[in-house]
Amino acid sequence: MQNLAAVKSARGRFVERKTMAMLNTPLESSGTLIYSAPSRLEKYTLLPTAESLVLEQDRLTIEYKNRKQRRTLLLRDYPVIWIFVESIRSTLAGDLATLTRFYRIILEGADDKWRLVLTPLEASMQSVVKTITIGGSHNRVRTIEIIEAEGDRSLMTISEETP
Amino acid sequence: MTARVSSRYALFIWLAGVLVCTIVILRTEFSADLSAFLPRTPTPVQQVLVEQLRDGVVSRLILIAIEGAAPAALTQTSQRLAAQLRQLPENFAAINNGEDAGATMDRDYLWRNRYLLSPAVNAEHFSCAELHAAIEQDLQLLGSPAGALLRRILPNDPTGELLRLVEQFEGQSRPALQHGVWFSPDGRRALLVAQTRAAGYDMDAQEQDLALIQDAFANSADATARAGQKLLLSGPAVFSVNTRAGIKADALRFSVIATALIAALLLALYRSPLALLLGLLPVVSGALAGIAAVSLGFGTVHGITLGFGVTLIGEAVDYAIYLFTQLTPDASPAGTFIRIWPTLRLGLLTSLCGFSAMLLSGFPGLAQLGLFSIAGLVAAVAVTRYVLPALLPPGFTVHAGAGLAPRVTSVVRRAPLLRYPLLFLSVLAVCFLVAQNRPLWSDELSSLSPLSSRDRALDEQLRRDIGAPDVRHLVVIHAADEQSALAASEQISAVLRRSVEQGDLQGFESPAVYLPSLAAQGARQAAIPPAPTLRENLREAQRGLPFRAGLFEPFLRDAAAAATQPLLNRADLHDTGLALKLDSLLVKRNNGAGWAAMLPLRGVSNAGAIEQDLARVAARPAVLIDLKRESDVLYQTYRREVITYALLGTAAIVLLLLASLRSLQRVLVVLAPLAAAGLITFSLLVLLGNALTIFHLVGLLLVVAIGSNYALFFERQAASAEERERTVTSLLFANLTTMLGFGLLAFSKVPVLHAIGSTVGIGAFLSLAFSAILISRSAGPMAAQPCV
Repeated sequence: MQNLAAVKSARGRFVERKTMAMLNTPLESSGTLIYSAPSRLEKYTLLPTAESLVLEQDRLTIEYKNRKQRRTLLLRDYPVIWIFVESIRSTLAGDLATLTRFYRIILEGADDKWRLVLTPLEASMQSVVKTITIGGSHNRVRTIEIIEAEGDRSLMTISEETP
Repeated sequence: MTARVSSRYALFIWLAGVLVCTIVILRTEFSADLSAFLPRTPTPVQQVLVEQLRDGVVSRLILIAIEGAAPAALTQTSQRLAAQLRQLPENFAAINNGEDAGATMDRDYLWRNRYLLSPAVNAEHFSCAELHAAIEQDLQLLGSPAGALLRRILPNDPTGELLRLVEQFEGQSRPALQHGVWFSPDGRRALLVAQTRAAGYDMDAQEQDLALIQDAFANSADATARAGQKLLLSGPAVFSVNTRAGIKADALRFSVIATALIAALLLALYRSPLALLLGLLPVVSGALAGIAAVSLGFGTVHGITLGFGVTLIGEAVDYAIYLFTQLTPDASPAGTFIRIWPTLRLGLLTSLCGFSAMLLSGFPGLAQLGLFSIAGLVAAVAVTRYVLPALLPPGFTVHAGAGLAPRVTSVVRRAPLLRYPLLFLSVLAVCFLVAQNRPLWSDELSSLSPLSSRDRALDEQLRRDIGAPDVRHLVVIHAADEQSALAASEQISAVLRRSVEQGDLQGFESPAVYLPSLAAQGARQAAIPPAPTLRENLREAQRGLPFRAGLFEPFLRDAAAAATQPLLNRADLHDTGLALKLDSLLVKRNNGAGWAAMLPLRGVSNAGAIEQDLARVAARPAVLIDLKRESDVLYQTYRREVITYALLGTAAIVLLLLASLRSLQRVLVVLAPLAAAGLITFSLLVLLGNALTIFHLVGLLLVVAIGSNYALFFERQAASAEERERTVTSLLFANLTTMLGFGLLAFSKVPVLHAIGSTVGIGAFLSLAFSAILISRSAGPMAAQPCV
């Protein structure tokens, strides 16, 4: 956690694959992920459609480029989304206090290959998410796997940005 | 003999008058309507707003805040307080503190009726192409963090109607949540909003509701848990009840103090209980006549009028003082009156001129004060003139502070020495007033509000906390019935939506969002295609998209149900938080004046353009109101009006003086001290940090009206040194009682009483002092000059 907290900014390419009961085929998307300590997280999806998500403090701004639509959510109004995004942001920030506020935490593995398993504490969240597993080595996050209560799952793989 | 008979008639008429007045007063209704001291509102649009203030939803809201403890403790108190108050459905229609109770009902209403409520539903909405676009968008949303929320409703609502409905409320500010209840943004206060069943003007009921809230707060936790926690209440009902209680307390306290002080003064002056009793007779008669006159003239008597009655005690007693002090053992009361009556009558008439200006002002409350004073003074003078002589024992004479008189006289004799200092002071006052770089006059309507600035500040704070900032721009629509009001709102909404796109404003609210007109609902219902068509369109629309077959079956079911569901009316909103909103935006007006819809606007940047857009479709009377501009213009209009009346009042006083003194020079002599007193009083008020209002101006007019009495008595040629001594003594005591009456009002927390009280208190004293300085003839060569 201290290692993660020491990272002031990080940038990576991501590929996300979502498997949902509603859909016949998995949903795949890719783009860039940018983190700036302590509380800013940006996710720019390029494929299949351009979309950006910017999380800054307690507001989340979603922009759909193709529809020229932009929407800002206050996280406190959407607790489920809040807990969701906090799992990623707080891990990147090494903010154990916030994580333990929302999740039961199990840390496994060694420094060069660790795994953080988060299980939500609140009932409202439990009905949505079963576990969030974050894998990485040293101070880099490599994978984020989300298993939802109803069986849907998503796996995000993050690789170093090639300059 | 005739004198005896006529005085017997006088006694009889007086007793009958007292009886009639008492009966009228016993049947009088006393009010504390806060709008009485706001100007009468001339336009129908303002009328709607004032009606809302009186008994609309807005008037039924009580803002509750709890502070003084850690958020966790405040949360608990908020929850317990709300739970207790929800047990009292007969008193409170709704208790909101952010707990989910109401929100669930709201979501449920929106969810169940989404196809009738959504403005997007039209003939094209369920076509193959539009369905395809909608589902494609869903796919994109599923990939985003919002996907987790969307997933549950997607099978029922692929076209995103719920999201669209919720979006309409976005931008409406809401209080922040902490621990699941409403908090101020700084987290220091937990917030609740109670809606009472009783209307805002029903003060007895409101008083009871407030007591219930206080009890519930006291019971919401044991004493140790509640340690340091403070309950704050605000809102129109709180204001009315507090103001009424404040006025009641003020009126009672000041009347008792004034009566006691004046009685003590009279006793000290006359050393005779009989003189005291007789002296108070005109006062009591005047007060009875004043209240009865207001009751008959206005239907109700405002609490503030009673508070103002204190001043009457101070003024009405003057006439008895003049009479008693001028009585000599060798002259009958009738004889004495022959001497002093002309001056007394002239003094009364000038006072009446002053109060008439109040009577004619556009403020119902101020007009009451005027009528009260006029009736009271006339009755007091009549009793002094016709009843007191009949009651005075033969040979009655009073020993009027014999030790005092010579000393007073010697002071007065030396007063003219101060002429040049006074002249200098007056010039200084003019310079001071001219040199003020901040505006002398308060320009805001709120300066007339009977609320103390502290109450107002608390209310503004709580409103900011709860995210209900005062609306400044508003479109008001008048219609004959509910349905046409809703239909008009829809029509105007379409115009406003275009204005939003053009960037003239950020957003707006409309009652039709919560309850569309039956016509609009019917049109939406008709736009839902028959089940087989919709199924076919959906099948086509899903082509090329990865959604599982049969996923949207719930949507087909819901749409088919919506196509035949009964149309919504007001009753369907029952028990939701949305009903509150609807009731504040759509109101049935009193007296069969039809319906009014109000569309509050947010973030207006180009009011002119919106006005033009509205005018273009204005088949219906829709008016854009800028509340701030409206009220400021109103205030300025009324200030002009009051200034006009004050000038007319002053002119009437000058004419009166001219008519009776028949000499321009004498009139100028009488007016000089009053002008100086007015100037210096205003300077003092400004120096003390007051922003001058209409009420100060009215006070100044009263200074002229009352001060002219002193000037007249000073100016009057005395027959002997002894009579002059008596005159001066009686003036001093009359002035003392007036200062007491008005001066006490300066301590009132009710702004109108405070303003008039402080102005007249200071002004009356200065008028007497300056009359002594400028008019007194006993000193130096002036004494030798023959009088005109």
